[in-house]
Amino acid sequence: MTVKIQEPEQSESKYAETARAFRQNVKKDLANAELRENFHGAMNYLMAKRAASFPSDDELETLRNQCKLIKQRALLKLPYLLEKLESNLQANGIHVHWAETITDANEIIAQVITSKNGKHIVKGKSMVSEETALNDYLHARDMEILESDMGEYIVQLAHEHPSHIIMPAIHQNKKQVADLFDKHIDGFDYTTDVDALIGEGRRILRDKFCHADVGITGVNFAVAETGTLCLVENEGNGQMSSAVPNVHIALTGIEKVVELLEDVPPLLSLLTRSATGQAITTYFNMITKPRQSDEKDGPEEVHLVLLDNGRSQAFADEELRQTLQCIRCGACMNHCPVYTRIGGHAYGTVYPGPIGKIISPHMLGLEATKDLPTASSLCGACGEVCPVKIPIPKILQRLRTESVKVHSGSPDELKGAGSNRKPMEATIWKIWSFIHKHQGMYRFSMWVATRLRGLLPSKLGVWTQVRSAPQLAPKTLHERIQARQPRG
Amino acid sequence: MVMDIFERSQAARTSILNKLKQQVEGADYSKLPAEKGFCYPQLPVADMLENFVEHLQANHAQVISVSAENVYQVAINQLRERGIEKLLCGKGSVLAEPLQATLDSAPEQTLKLSIYDSHLADCKQEMFYDMPASISSSRWLIAETGTLVLWPSASEPRTLSLIPPVHIVVAYASTLHANFATLIHNNQWQAQMPTNVLLISGPSKTADIQQTLAFGAHGPKELIVLLVNDLI
Repeated sequence: MTVKIQEPEQSESKYAETARAFRQNVKKDLANAELRENFHGAMNYLMAKRAASFPSDDELETLRNQCKLIKQRALLKLPYLLEKLESNLQANGIHVHWAETITDANEIIAQVITSKNGKHIVKGKSMVSEETALNDYLHARDMEILESDMGEYIVQLAHEHPSHIIMPAIHQNKKQVADLFDKHIDGFDYTTDVDALIGEGRRILRDKFCHADVGITGVNFAVAETGTLCLVENEGNGQMSSAVPNVHIALTGIEKVVELLEDVPPLLSLLTRSATGQAITTYFNMITKPRQSDEKDGPEEVHLVLLDNGRSQAFADEELRQTLQCIRCGACMNHCPVYTRIGGHAYGTVYPGPIGKIISPHMLGLEATKDLPTASSLCGACGEVCPVKIPIPKILQRLRTESVKVHSGSPDELKGAGSNRKPMEATIWKIWSFIHKHQGMYRFSMWVATRLRGLLPSKLGVWTQVRSAPQLAPKTLHERIQARQPRG
Repeated sequence: MVMDIFERSQAARTSILNKLKQQVEGADYSKLPAEKGFCYPQLPVADMLENFVEHLQANHAQVISVSAENVYQVAINQLRERGIEKLLCGKGSVLAEPLQATLDSAPEQTLKLSIYDSHLADCKQEMFYDMPASISSSRWLIAETGTLVLWPSASEPRTLSLIPPVHIVVAYASTLHANFATLIHNNQWQAQMPTNVLLISGPSKTADIQQTLAFGAHGPKELIVLLVNDLI
């Protein structure tokens, strides 16, 4: 009766390999004009929507400060809030599971499904389930798992993964979606009309909702005080997944817990306005208990799976801990000049854009993600729009340092630290640093450099592929100033 | 011996909590900075009500002002206009009796009132494929965002407002609150969270295809709010 479960695999996430291919991915996606047009249009749209939803700078700044402090308070109390959340959920009749790795999370979910003889699963939008590659895991165990968020459904049909955390299919235009439906859906009457395309998705997914045994969703906020799981959505698929099947499994990262119910309204307001420029989403769903004996709907069993997957590593460093303040609004990617140009898939990670660059190293290790922190002009836009004021540019610089420092092997070290260290580069910087610390050496080397400037090669590796080589001046600045200022 | 996955969950719990506690054990919470919320201007009730209606309409809900006596007739008329002949109502809902009485008083009406009186599992087929409309009450309203707060119960199950393509909500102006924060605070939700609370601010929608808004993604395509101004 039970599915044969293999020994726990400690294999790495499939995203480690795609993240390593970052440079090749970028090259490919930058050359795709249609893709670039799709992202360009979408980012302009989302930026304008966000701006219009914050008419008052004063309100925006007050809310950002408030929400930053709410999340920092939750993080400072994190282990105790997790315990409180667990005991309140259990008192409410909700089962709580803990997983350190993505494989463990998947296995817990598969076991819960198997114990209820589940075969047909519908899933509301959950980025954490992308993190664990849950669909692949359940497919391999002969279970049908269907994405029900329209964007996620499209992405699943195309055998892709989301290119944006809020709008998963943003890389596709309606023509591409129509072609996809035409290829995969029997009897699809070809059209590029968006209403008709959504209608087709609705028809297919309603049938799945009606017959599913298990629903899986993510969580936007988990309230420790009351043991409440909150879901933010517009489509109604989160409700369909959490209210119609007999079992509801919610999967979330350990950082989603907030202390108080009254912490929710400001966070919700900032989340929806930062994400899509909406004052509120169509649905805000607060789940506190499974179905009670007199009730007619809702799941008989509710499970929550709490996943670490590298979050405790970020937590162990006060600067990097701020990464965990994230409420997953996507504003940083919408405003990122790099994301807008290369798109979400080029990163090769589950979370793309600026937040992806600072969270993925904890999930996949710095070895697989060493290129990501460098893919930034440090323009600062992400930090300026972040609703919870994560200093993303500063953390990017910190991760750059971590990736090139000497590998110490200490247990406190970030996974993969030092993996971008190149002996030649390190030696050059050592010499540079030595020269700049010794005045005589500095003057002498500058004198030599300016006099021998003609020997500087015109080709300087990748730098000169798209730029001309810098020219040294014939005299140092010191010499020129001295010449200009008459003594005495 | 390989640990069972649920035993491993306990081991993971201990490991995760230990790692976290190692970092923040003994932290001094009194040093946490004061959190200041934004002071929203207090608006007169009439303005709040206007904001409520505007937001709902902007989100494509249809808002109809009705008198307390008229609610049920207007609901019936709205369905007749759409050619809908069946309306789902919760068993024991405050709306059930007056609706039936209104229907009985006019025998020429073709609308049939269907009562949600069995478990969803036993009526799924009908709910998904043969239930064109539903009606429910709302417990509170939020002005700032144009939001209806539903407090589902045995008499008004949560799927009542989710599965049928047309959803009618009866809303009373006297239940209006300025915003979500004051609503939670003034009514001390902390002490009384039910199985499920739903905030609804329009018909179901999506912009997942090329940022083009489409309604009726998975939930109702139409949301009709019958607003009774019982403040006057």
